[in-house]
Amino acid sequence: MDFLSDFMTLFLAKLQSPTLGFLIGGMVVAAVNSRLQIPDAIYKFIVFMLLIKVGLSGGIAIRNANLAEMLLPAVFAMVVGILIVFIGRYTLAKMPNVKTVDAIATAGLFGAVSGSTLAAALTLMETEGIQYEPWAAALYPFMDIPALVTAIVLASVYTSKQYDTADEALSKQESLGSPVKYRRKSKRVKIWPIVKESLQGSALSALLLGLALGILTRPESVYESFFNPLFRGLLSILMLVMGMEATARIGELRKVGQWYALYAAIAPLLHGLIAFGFGMIAHYTTGFSPGGCVILAVIASSSSDISGPPTLRAGIPSANPSAYIGSSTAVGTPVALAIGIPLFIGLAQTLMGS
Amino acid sequence: MAKPAKKLVIVTEKLLLKKIAKIIDEAGATGYTVVDAGGKGSRNVRSSGQPSISDTYSNIKIEVLTETREIALKISDEVAAQFFDNYSGIAYLCDAEVLSAHKFCGPDGC
Repeated sequence: MDFLSDFMTLFLAKLQSPTLGFLIGGMVVAAVNSRLQIPDAIYKFIVFMLLIKVGLSGGIAIRNANLAEMLLPAVFAMVVGILIVFIGRYTLAKMPNVKTVDAIATAGLFGAVSGSTLAAALTLMETEGIQYEPWAAALYPFMDIPALVTAIVLASVYTSKQYDTADEALSKQESLGSPVKYRRKSKRVKIWPIVKESLQGSALSALLLGLALGILTRPESVYESFFNPLFRGLLSILMLVMGMEATARIGELRKVGQWYALYAAIAPLLHGLIAFGFGMIAHYTTGFSPGGCVILAVIASSSSDISGPPTLRAGIPSANPSAYIGSSTAVGTPVALAIGIPLFIGLAQTLMGS
Repeated sequence: MAKPAKKLVIVTEKLLLKKIAKIIDEAGATGYTVVDAGGKGSRNVRSSGQPSISDTYSNIKIEVLTETREIALKISDEVAAQFFDNYSGIAYLCDAEVLSAHKFCGPDGC
């Protein structure tokens, strides 16, 4: 019982952080149809600022870190990314009235990583004084890219099977002059373009640029005077935008049905806990820090909101964007932020006594 | 003097711009114009003004001037075949008269 009460106290304390306050504030503001708007350009700039800051601080710290330790967590991140897509393929896709391609795309988006959720988690951890490996933020691409690639490959395999059966049906009833609706697109999925597309995405580019600058140059002065002090304020504005966006997308979710809402509510926590379990294994074998476990869990529970959707829209064109973007933005991201992050931090603190 | 031409207009998702631009270039058009677009179509109402999480949700209008109807049709057929099953889009053709353009009319003017 002690364990539980400790955990609940920690959990409730986390719920009062400014990050979550702004998120819920944004949801409320949008729900009462306020005309308050944060310009799109500002939103994009904030995302860039946050990720470049995360990259810079990681890069500066990596210089004197042992990168061999990164191997196991990186492998785990890849495993979790791929696993998440398969979980979605065999749970959500099997539900009635759920189109398989939509389900695969949704799982892909939930497997992908949200830079803003990661930034929020890092802020909260710094507030709590939890130590984590400097390279932990660099686990992002190791989960993001495999998840997107897996989703796109699975969807292509599925649709090409569909085309084959459709073709057979068509050839059986070949009537003269009937327009063949399905042109045989037996396209082999090329993996490299998907990887390239992910790396070229705004979020990952900013993170990797920050990492490179942190490692190769000496950006401490500008980091201390500009990026670091602005970080928290910008993050709270970003949370406000995400809250507003979440409410705006709820309507879309209504169109696609209750299974998506259910999946989007459960998936972030389930994925996070699976990743946390992997993190624990790394903790006991290679001394991966509890803070690192939290980061691994957070990137697993987050669902991409900036770079993922366009990649999926291009990679799985037959999937309905309302389904995956709606589930991710309206339910998945708020759940990961408001419940996921405090839950994983609380877990780390109670289990490993940091 | 004005030179008669065809104006092909394609309204579709912003995400496809690069791919469509490639089709336009390969068809031999001399150039194209792109503007942000919003409005109502078969799939949904989209506005260009709302902040959205990503550009996935915004539309564009592409205008291409071509000398012949054939080039315009070649472009629109290719675009429709590749994208319009899965992406929102519409293509239409208008008559136009080009009044001044160095590239389109050649060095002697229109």
